[in-house]
Amino acid sequence: MGGKVTCTLGEVKNRADLIIYWGGNPADCHPLHFSRYTLNAKGKHVPQGRKGRTMVLVDVRETPSVRFSDIFLQVRPGKDFEVVTTLRALLKNRPVDEARVAETGLTLEQLQNLVDRMKNARFGVLFFGMGLTMTRGKHMNSAAVLTLVAELNAFTKFVSMPMRGHGNVTGADVVMRWTTGFPFGVNLSRGYPRFNPGEFSTIDVLVRGDNDAALILGADPGATMPQPAIDHLARIPTIVLDPKLTHTSRLARVHITTATTGISAPGTAYRMDEIPLPLKPILKSPYPTDEEVIRRIYEKVKVKPAWSPAAYAKVPCA
Amino acid sequence: MLRISGGRVYDPANGIQGEVKDICIADGRIVNDVQGAAVRTIPASGMVVFPGGVDVHTHVAGAALNFARGMTPENHRAAAKFIHSPLLRAGTGGITPTTFATGYLYAGMGYTTVNEAAVPILSARHTHEELRDTPIVDKSSCVLMANNEILLDLFEEGETERARDVLAWLIWAAKGYGVKAVNPGGVAAWKWGKDAKVLSDPVHGYGKVTPAIIIAQLAAIVDHLRLPHPLHIHCNNLGVPGNVSTTLETMRVLEGHRAHMAHLQFHAYGGDDWTTLRSEAAAVAEYFNAHPNLTADAGAILFGNSVTITADGPWQHLLYQLTGRKWGNLDVENETGCGIVPYVYKGSNVVNAVQWAVGLELLLLIDDPWRIFLTTDHPNGACFWRYPEVIHLLMDASFRRECLRKLPSRALKRIVLPDVDREYTLSEIATITSAGPARALGMPRKGHLGPGADADVTIYNESPDRGLMFRHPRYVLKGGEVVVEEGDIRKVVDGRELIVRPAYDENIEEYLRPLFEQYYTVAFENYPVEQERLEGADIRELG
Amino acid sequence: MPPTTLENATCTFCGCVCDNIGLEADGDRIVKTKRACGLGEAWFKNHTAERLYPDALIDGKPASVDEAVEAAADYLYQANMPLVYGLSNITCEAQRKAVALAELVGGVVDSHTSL
Ligand code: SF4
Ligand SMILES: [Zn+2]
Repeated sequence: MGGKVTCTLGEVKNRADLIIYWGGNPADCHPLHFSRYTLNAKGKHVPQGRKGRTMVLVDVRETPSVRFSDIFLQVRPGKDFEVVTTLRALLKNRPVDEARVAETGLTLEQLQNLVDRMKNARFGVLFFGMGLTMTRGKHMNSAAVLTLVAELNAFTKFVSMPMRGHGNVTGADVVMRWTTGFPFGVNLSRGYPRFNPGEFSTIDVLVRGDNDAALILGADPGATMPQPAIDHLARIPTIVLDPKLTHTSRLARVHITTATTGISAPGTAYRMDEIPLPLKPILKSPYPTDEEVIRRIYEKVKVKPAWSPAAYAKVPCA
Repeated sequence: MLRISGGRVYDPANGIQGEVKDICIADGRIVNDVQGAAVRTIPASGMVVFPGGVDVHTHVAGAALNFARGMTPENHRAAAKFIHSPLLRAGTGGITPTTFATGYLYAGMGYTTVNEAAVPILSARHTHEELRDTPIVDKSSCVLMANNEILLDLFEEGETERARDVLAWLIWAAKGYGVKAVNPGGVAAWKWGKDAKVLSDPVHGYGKVTPAIIIAQLAAIVDHLRLPHPLHIHCNNLGVPGNVSTTLETMRVLEGHRAHMAHLQFHAYGGDDWTTLRSEAAAVAEYFNAHPNLTADAGAILFGNSVTITADGPWQHLLYQLTGRKWGNLDVENETGCGIVPYVYKGSNVVNAVQWAVGLELLLLIDDPWRIFLTTDHPNGACFWRYPEVIHLLMDASFRRECLRKLPSRALKRIVLPDVDREYTLSEIATITSAGPARALGMPRKGHLGPGADADVTIYNESPDRGLMFRHPRYVLKGGEVVVEEGDIRKVVDGRELIVRPAYDENIEEYLRPLFEQYYTVAFENYPVEQERLEGADIRELG
Repeated sequence: MPPTTLENATCTFCGCVCDNIGLEADGDRIVKTKRACGLGEAWFKNHTAERLYPDALIDGKPASVDEAVEAAADYLYQANMPLVYGLSNITCEAQRKAVALAELVGGVVDSHTSL
């Protein structure tokens, strides 16, 4: 079983009467989420805005988002998976062990109350953040949350959505899916797309030292990655395209300054709900865009002899 | 310049049925004759020449399909691989091919035009981005309208004229080609976890608007605007036992209007539940045969892996509950929604066996090949690259009987296929795969080989094994360029997009803007797809 | 010349991707933002069109874009398995090209999502 039941942000704005944020701090990290899309927005079927909605915040610590919430559930670190599993059990009226529940830092009563609210919501939404997806359990946690929400649809309308961070990370996911079939971590070294998270993910590749060159686009792994990964980037020819000189630029063999996305570089970016929006630059940069530089590198490589023995082989088309 | 010499030509639109004839090409179009030393000749004697295939209903690009790609990594691993070469982009085939693979697979099968059948306006920009990365084939798209709340509100208030302007504006905003109605009213109701099952009942949340009103209004507007393609409709109650009554009622509501009935196979079931499900293809065909205002596509199913993707959220939730497998659902504010459930059709399953028969029965019992077209509602019923299997079944009654013998005997009592002996001719195949869909789409330069037509031509080695013959065309020409030769892709051209620009009162923007700011979450100015994005598009202005 | 004021500009600083931002520019700088949050305002105001950095660097020394492109192409071409990483703060158009390039050089392409 499993599923991903989601919607665009306007559905939340127009309908949601129960809004759950889990493992995230939107007040600081997505400052306009409340006012544009969720809590405070006046929607078609929630004309009263904030008064028509209940917000539940689930997190391991108190953040500035707490004061926006009606109910704050503080989970013990690393116990998210247990909480979600308990909610799924309660949803199906299965017995749960009260002592085990207590280990999560929450009471059975609190969780039963949450389940009742979920079932009785007219339209519920669960946003989950890095606090859930980047801590103990990781992918298991997100899978459990997605399943919980899918199962809730036997009772009422319920949807979930990850709170994606950085500007256009969603766009990367979308573009890679249509070009390769997979959302990230795609290995093209055999000439066709292969996907194996944990094997072809950047950190694993770098820490193992599998790659012998790197092209870094709009990211600064030199500032954020574990030291062995950074050491490897410094060892191999690393190329950076960035509007600024970054930590990675300093350890790279090649740095090229590019125009800033959306400020002096035009194009498209995807919102966290995969809605594409146009980027209209207001400034004219003295630097070329990333798109242009990548195209020029592509053209330079393209005229060199093909790399793979299969490259000139005929490929049957069906 | 090019001459295809000595082939047996099937060009039903021009009344040519297997005559040996040269086809001449200059500047990407079919011409009467070409002369001189610069003419390349393709010797085609002993071969069969068709106009390039036209797919009237498929799902190849956009948010829903891309959602499905993300949901099915295990299928990509098992799928055919497209290996990067100086000519081709890498990709995966399978049930939800990547964009580049989609173009290669269609062209490799002799198809040169495809109609993407479900585009939400809010994410139309995404659809067009993917279509741009879908090479070789020309592309049009149908815009989802039957659950658009701005339109539904106008229908509720009886504001027909304003609705017309809004619809026209929306098509242009999406840079679309046609209007698609999916489960009219049912997807809007699904936003509250409800469905619209009875055509005459008000839609959940509305006082007056019923599915029947939505259908009638949309069909009337599409006719009034003289859109080249009639209203493209996916009926209520898709896939549900006993839905034949809904389908017949929908067709009655459409009397007096043009309409295209999508994937009719999924709408021609009798019975009260899954255990009594039976074919009602004969009843549907009988009504349909008597009503020339309608066209349809088959939406045939084939046994094997598929992933069902429709804007029909309630049906997808039902399927999820039936299968207990993965379920994806994506509701789009104010406009539509879609559901995604991977599915395996099994020949041993009575329900699936009946579905398999229904698709073929409709193709065989509807007597005018100009009105029923070959589709599998890709990827819902089967992948588009399996069309040759359907052609084989249509052309060869003894092969069909062989397949029928493998079905569970309980299924045989619920279908009429065993009693149908009709075999399609080559000319009829050319009609249901090219000439007919091109005419239904209102594309005068597609689907035929007369002077002025786009030089999209498919040349087959004639073979008694029809499956083999149609799987591997010998040559495929797109816009006069030889893109497939000896069964391999030899040249990759860009396909164009076909879009229409209906006329509307510009003041409609002043009506829409405030509504928009209230109900949507994107700026009104950022909603329409910019024309500059669609490089080289073929824009048809409607007066 | 790009405009000096812009309505409905899009902020890509966080996943909200607000597309109703008003901007006012003076020469090389954005001097005023409307409807952006604090993070968004800082994002817009911190990026200027001034030439604050060299066009390109090769081994830490200033170089032309042409030279740097050439060097980048050589490194990527010679590598057995290059890694193309990031993609989160670039446009979809650049992302499409990045996938094409990763394919051409036979490498791994990955975004922040894998973290
Ligand atoms: S304005 Fe603020 S909330 Fe909106 S995208 Fe920018 S940083 Fe995020
Ligand atoms: Zn369809």
